[in-house]
Amino acid sequence: MNAIDLFELRGQFSRRNILLCFNGPISHGLIEELGNALRNYLTAEQLQPSAVMDVFGVYIELTQNIRHYCRVRGYEDSDAAATVVVARDDDGGYAVQAGNMVERGDGEALLARIEQLAAKDKAELKTAYKEQLRRPRDEDAISGAGLGLIDVARKSSRPLAATLSDLGGERVFFSVRAVI
Amino acid sequence: MGNRPMNELNIEATQSTPSVSADWDSGVMHIAGDSFPENSFEFFAGVIDWIERYLASSGRPLHLDLRLMYMNTSSVKAMMDIFDLLEDAHRDGRAVEVIWHHDPANERVADLAGEFREDCTFPFGIEKDGV
Repeated sequence: MNAIDLFELRGQFSRRNILLCFNGPISHGLIEELGNALRNYLTAEQLQPSAVMDVFGVYIELTQNIRHYCRVRGYEDSDAAATVVVARDDDGGYAVQAGNMVERGDGEALLARIEQLAAKDKAELKTAYKEQLRRPRDEDAISGAGLGLIDVARKSSRPLAATLSDLGGERVFFSVRAVI
Repeated sequence: MGNRPMNELNIEATQSTPSVSADWDSGVMHIAGDSFPENSFEFFAGVIDWIERYLASSGRPLHLDLRLMYMNTSSVKAMMDIFDLLEDAHRDGRAVEVIWHHDPANERVADLAGEFREDCTFPFGIEKDGV
């Protein structure tokens, strides 16, 4: 195998303004540590405390959703992996992208859910959030992602976007992007 | 005061869980810090248990003093359960009160507290620190 060209990789990170990038099995401790680093980077960029909290909050909900999904589906550690990227957006915002392997049916349901949320305005999202908050815990959507995704949509300045990528089997790679 | 140890609640903060301290005699509970554990239901179970026992054991007032900052959605859900307990007590004529303090530079915390307050009829103050 050829050596990975770190200089080229670094160039990509710089060009795309990537602050944080992770790929692999993710633990709660790792989420905490990466979250700490993220808060420090954002604070160093002179971001307002409320904006730091919004980006951090989206990062936490999306990564905890992935952990929760892997637990519910009983995935082995090697399959319980996440891909997370936080980057500065061209318009001065921040984009949080998170992806993981899911069962095809779950992925399709998630995609439909995100399209529903993307069509709602802020007032409708608030109503949906309060309704979901009052729902019993065991009814909390397919993947437990019910309340978390609404929260992410509320914190975002643009509609959420999601994609599914085929892995050639029963599972697909689900990816969601939020811009704050 | 033979049952005192059971009535003491002191939890130290971690990176993802807030500190909690409750004083049975004065009826004051403090919760401060960030809250984003994976299992918020489990973390807050002890807090909810203390409040339920306190409210059931006497007619004395309850004061909840909060300095919570970031909360993940499952912590928000647990907190709503706590406010529901206080709401029920208030409807039964009990004196209950919440004061939520926040850094004036972080309006997001005030937004969060404000959304909780919309669903409560008991006294619920949102106060800026150092103003």
